[in-house]
Amino acid sequence: MTSSADAVMTKPPTTPPGSQLAGEGSMWFFIIGDLIIFSVYFVFYTWHRGINQELFLESQLQLNQGIGFINTLILLTSSLFIALGAQSVHEGEYRRALALMRTAFFIGALFPVLKMVEWLPKINAGITPGENLFYLYYYIMTGLHLCHVLLGLVIQAFVLRHLASEKTPDAEFVDSGAVYWHMVDLLWIVVFAMFYLMR
Amino acid sequence: MSEPTAAIEPIASVQPKKIRWLKNKKLDQYLVFWVVPVFFQVFGLVFVPLTWMMPPMSPDKPLADIVTFMQTSPLELALSLYILVSGLGAVVTVGAYWLVLARMAVSPAIKYAFLAGQVIGSVVGALLPVSLFGLAGFRSGYDPETLAMFYDFAYLAYNGSLGCFCLPWLALSLAIILDKNRILPKWLGYYTAWQYVTELFAASVWLTTAQPFGWNGYLAFYFNMLLYVPWQIIIFFQIYKALKNQPEDELDNVRLERSLPSYQAVPAYS
Repeated sequence: MTSSADAVMTKPPTTPPGSQLAGEGSMWFFIIGDLIIFSVYFVFYTWHRGINQELFLESQLQLNQGIGFINTLILLTSSLFIALGAQSVHEGEYRRALALMRTAFFIGALFPVLKMVEWLPKINAGITPGENLFYLYYYIMTGLHLCHVLLGLVIQAFVLRHLASEKTPDAEFVDSGAVYWHMVDLLWIVVFAMFYLMR
Repeated sequence: MSEPTAAIEPIASVQPKKIRWLKNKKLDQYLVFWVVPVFFQVFGLVFVPLTWMMPPMSPDKPLADIVTFMQTSPLELALSLYILVSGLGAVVTVGAYWLVLARMAVSPAIKYAFLAGQVIGSVVGALLPVSLFGLAGFRSGYDPETLAMFYDFAYLAYNGSLGCFCLPWLALSLAIILDKNRILPKWLGYYTAWQYVTELFAASVWLTTAQPFGWNGYLAFYFNMLLYVPWQIIIFFQIYKALKNQPEDELDNVRLERSLPSYQAVPAYS
């Protein structure tokens, strides 16, 4: 005989594990839209690069690849800690999650500092957005990305406050912050490749 | 001495059907709301078919063309129309946003930041350019170089007003996202954040007159418009929906009516 309780227990879950969307739906709306907006800029950049190859190449050589590379490492490492922190929240290890998220925040906060280290000598040397079309793209795209990093740090600060104050934190909220930070990471990888590496 | 309610009852019973809509408790809100589409129609009429200010002309237009454009009679006609409606429109447009902002459970600092930013933005982004075009259109005797400066200044104020609109869009975005009452959908808050981003893109119009970042550039203008126009339509549709769904108990005029003595609560003229 099969009891109704057994039937409930053997019934497969309506949503298979791992198929649920991480974070809030509205955050995914923002992320997908943001990726489309950046993509439009990338297409225009590539188009103008094709028209002004010499100017773009010559200007690209003046960029500091070392700082770009360190910034890539910073964001990747920060993203790793965010992912581990989000996983800890799902496993119910909230104290560990808080420690991991704090680490991610402080590593991520190095990005704007290094961006200033990169920008300020250039601006002091007279290389401003008005220099040429490449630098206009460079300052707009990296500046826009920097705005996203700053917004990501604000979101992380809210997540940290939430983790520190709630006994059972909202995993969806933590996931939303994590997903946003991964998008910031992904965008930087494309920006780094297009502006610093592409020859 | 007779009771006041007894005296007014016959008047109320013969009240014509066609003025019943005046009894709608949300009438004031709907009036504020519907002024906005009317304002935008006039705004569009002035800036597109009457003056052809929009889509924006080239920043590198020859001096003779600038002088011709700045002193044509359609410009005068359109500006007259705009000046007539701009004061009312600018105020009521902010009012339409305020109808929903006032109901949101967020810090008042965010709400007042929106108000302050919108007011400054309206002055710099709408009234300043139109005043400069008005100066050129209604006052004769300016030399061509001065007219070219007005042209440059007006378009930069109109298309590159930057921070003035960064603040209100950021505040509105935060208000929608953080609002605990969920007056507007959260995704709209994120969409509003892109309006903040487009204002940042517009910074480039001050740096160059060339494509794609000049004030008539594919990226600095047309792409921004592609993001802005649907947003403007969607947000007003959502504001309308929020007004319609608002329970009457929440309305200030209903609360006020309830707090008055009973003989005053039966209005004599509605």
